[in-house]
Amino acid sequence: MDLLGFYPLFYVPEIGSAWLMGLTGAIHIMASHTSVGAAILFAFLAHKAQKENRTDLYDYMKRYGMFLLIFSYVIGSITGPGIWYTATAASPRGISALIHNFVWVWATEWVFFVYEVIGVFALIYFMDKVDRKTHLKLTYTFALASVGTLALIIGIISFMMWPGTDAYYATGSASDAFFGTNTFPHMFLRIGFMIMMSGIIGMIISSAMHKENKELSEELTQKMGWVSLLGGFVTVFFFMWYINTLPANAQALLEMAKDSIIMNRIILAILFSLYFFVAIIKPQWINRTIAITMMFVIGIVGVWPGEKLRETMRKPWVAGQYMYSNQIIGRDVPGKEIKSEVELIAAKGLLTVNPWIPDRLRTITPENKLEVGKLLTRIACSNCHSLEKDGLYRPLIKLAGPMGEEGIREYMKNVIGTGSSPYMPKIALPDEEYDAIAAYIASQAK
Amino acid sequence: MEISTFVNVMRDSAGIPFYPVVFQGLYVLTWALHAAFVLLALGSMGLSLYGSTQQKSSPYWKILTPHLIMTGKISISILIVLGVAPLLFTQVIYDSGWYVANTLSGAWVFIFIYALVIGYMMYYWYQSANKKGSSSSTLIGIISFGILIFCGVLMHNFAVEAISPTKWMEWYAPNGVIDNAGWNMHLDLIRLGFMVSLMIPVTGIFMQNYTQFLSTRKDFEPKYLEFVKSLGTKLAIFGLLISAVLFALWMQKESLLLHPLSLATVASVVLLLLLAIGNKNSYVTTGILVVVALLISSVRELIRYKIMSGVGYDLYGYPMNLEWETIIMFLLTFVVLGFTGIAFILTMAWKVGKTEGVYTATEGSAVSRLANASLVLFILWIVVYFGWGMVALFKNTL
Ligand code: HEC
Ligand code: HEM
Repeated sequence: MDLLGFYPLFYVPEIGSAWLMGLTGAIHIMASHTSVGAAILFAFLAHKAQKENRTDLYDYMKRYGMFLLIFSYVIGSITGPGIWYTATAASPRGISALIHNFVWVWATEWVFFVYEVIGVFALIYFMDKVDRKTHLKLTYTFALASVGTLALIIGIISFMMWPGTDAYYATGSASDAFFGTNTFPHMFLRIGFMIMMSGIIGMIISSAMHKENKELSEELTQKMGWVSLLGGFVTVFFFMWYINTLPANAQALLEMAKDSIIMNRIILAILFSLYFFVAIIKPQWINRTIAITMMFVIGIVGVWPGEKLRETMRKPWVAGQYMYSNQIIGRDVPGKEIKSEVELIAAKGLLTVNPWIPDRLRTITPENKLEVGKLLTRIACSNCHSLEKDGLYRPLIKLAGPMGEEGIREYMKNVIGTGSSPYMPKIALPDEEYDAIAAYIASQAK
Repeated sequence: MEISTFVNVMRDSAGIPFYPVVFQGLYVLTWALHAAFVLLALGSMGLSLYGSTQQKSSPYWKILTPHLIMTGKISISILIVLGVAPLLFTQVIYDSGWYVANTLSGAWVFIFIYALVIGYMMYYWYQSANKKGSSSSTLIGIISFGILIFCGVLMHNFAVEAISPTKWMEWYAPNGVIDNAGWNMHLDLIRLGFMVSLMIPVTGIFMQNYTQFLSTRKDFEPKYLEFVKSLGTKLAIFGLLISAVLFALWMQKESLLLHPLSLATVASVVLLLLLAIGNKNSYVTTGILVVVALLISSVRELIRYKIMSGVGYDLYGYPMNLEWETIIMFLLTFVVLGFTGIAFILTMAWKVGKTEGVYTATEGSAVSRLANASLVLFILWIVVYFGWGMVALFKNTL
């Protein structure tokens, strides 16, 4: 039988299921990057405290640690599996592709996670219960474990963009998939951002200490200003390298949005440099409200658009440039004996190859044409377009409606069906399925 | 449509990188760990709620309640991180079931995550309110507890759906009309009741350990420890009896009552009961508890395997693309670095717990040696990682 391994479709009206993932992802990035950055910062502070006998720094670390427990180890450690869970619902075959390529890498990362989670409680609660030297060693290993988690996930998320070289397609090896050309630039870009985040959060803690200990508070705000500045510089520097290691389709998509992105990044860079300079020069000006506001600014204006951009640049793929966003395998991977499914779908149609079509909809009739059209549109397009008229996520009715029924059919046949759109998958279908989709979209646009 | 084609065709076309039975074993092992901390978290939290109403009048509850709250708090973090491993392994070998469950219940999947975030944040709130002696702390705790139990119900929902292949189509498209809103919820109350009931004996045995551990500390009154110990023993006995009944009912329903695995489970539970009643050495009791947890995890897997192979799912014939590099990385990291690192922290925690005041790890002590070894291993790991990465990259780009 000609069945392909599709899954049931989970569909979220208006915003699209990808949006749920994006939201969880953006929150997770803030929390997890802060956590790794803070681990590095702690190693630095603990080292300093030990060498210069600055016991007051432990007090700061303790407060920072308590904040970290909630911010990173409640929010971060739940949204981590959270991305994974929501991605599973939104894009099961995409996640499956990643899992089946990288299961041992993830399992290795899990070892580091376990160390981190148990370690963070020991680090905070044993701060004045074990001797300083042992505690310092714990702090070092904690920082290394945290960096290790980044080192392990980075190759996987880089692979989502592309494997980086062609070797993977021939060998199917996880190592070739993991270490692509953009793995390391991506890694250092994130380390920079992590350091910057640890400084941004650090200022929230230090500015809150102003009442009890003015001097220490200002000294630390100043230090956090330097830390953030350093992190910001590293981020910008590696961002430029990173951009150059992206595949052609991403470059093309980036080109389209380039001006607005560059504008956004320049404004952000200026705004945050100013903020960090103020912290360095006039630490007493930074109070808790400002520090918290700036954290939200970086999240909403920096991370959220960055995540959306990364999602867009990946189009039309979700994993390794062989799995399309709409859950169809779009190319052969001989190293894993994976075959493209595009040709079979073109010949037989989605209604035949998708196991999840109720029998009464498998053949198109005048009565069920619109219902089938709706179903096919959901299956083929809803991963990237919301289908409601005023949907928020690249609303399809707005984009395609004006073309008219005939126009939509031709567009699908000649552009989408031939794979000539740089950001849309090649979706070639039998004529009657094109008809059904076009009829449905046109009926909605009325 | 043939259901066997159906479940097999959904297996990932990349195949799996190692023998299915290895993933299956790791699944059983790591799920048992996840479950142990789920039960300890829920149980200690539940008991702390009672304690929070008693602590004003009882000096013993005044000491015990915050300890229970802290135990619950740390256990939640650990159960979350331990849940990641079975999550990984289940979708490697049973991807058909797992992804179908997640798409059928997509809305619940999303709610699960944010419910857990809110429930756990409220737990921190509960702890701090309790510390301040606020009168609303019990209420906050109850809400948080309710949310976390609800998370468990959702987990159970995913587990049940994943092993109901004959119902999938009906759930996805009742009467041939597709519903892709993701609001499916299907529970098996006996199974769920059994799982949740285990929180009572687990907490009871934990309390036996607690008293045995603290009995060497001078700053804990023997009377207090006696109080906790007898409460723990009562909970363990009472809880084990309830769980045993529910287990028998569940096995009856799955027609597995006389299966060797469930008989072995019953036998170990009886042994556990005897040990808990005697309460000579709670560390030994805990050892048996671990065995019971592994057996229960195996029973769960047996049920799934039976159902899935019953509809023609060919687990052991899952196409395989054997791959050595990454599994070697995992095994070495897990066994060498993981065991050393965790041993370091746990030994240190043990010593800290036994010490009044500051614990100092002298040169050459176990803690100090484990600390040094961990540090060296972590550094070595990072070096190997970069070395490997550069070799792979140079090979493929030059
Ligand atoms: C992999 C994601 C993806 C899928 C799947 C997808 N599209 Fe698109 N589509 C896009 C993107 C990205 C754009 C550009 C949107 C914009 O300009 O805002 C787009 C734009 C369009 C446009 C506007 C014309 C153009 O080329 O910009 C039409 C019409 C369209 N899509 C139709 C469809 C139809 C019909 C389907 C289903 C058969 C579909 N798309 C599936 C990503 C996708
Ligand atoms: C408070 C939060 C949680 C509770 C109370 C909880 C409880 C449970 C329970 C009761 C089960 C058994 C269900 C059954 O067999 O019927 C289970 C299974 C499982 N849990 Fe959790 N859990 C929680 C959080 C998590 C998290 C955060 C993860 C992932 C990181 C996770 C991963 C798993 C996995 C993978 C299974 C096995 C599912 C299967 O293979 O069928 N859990 N959990």
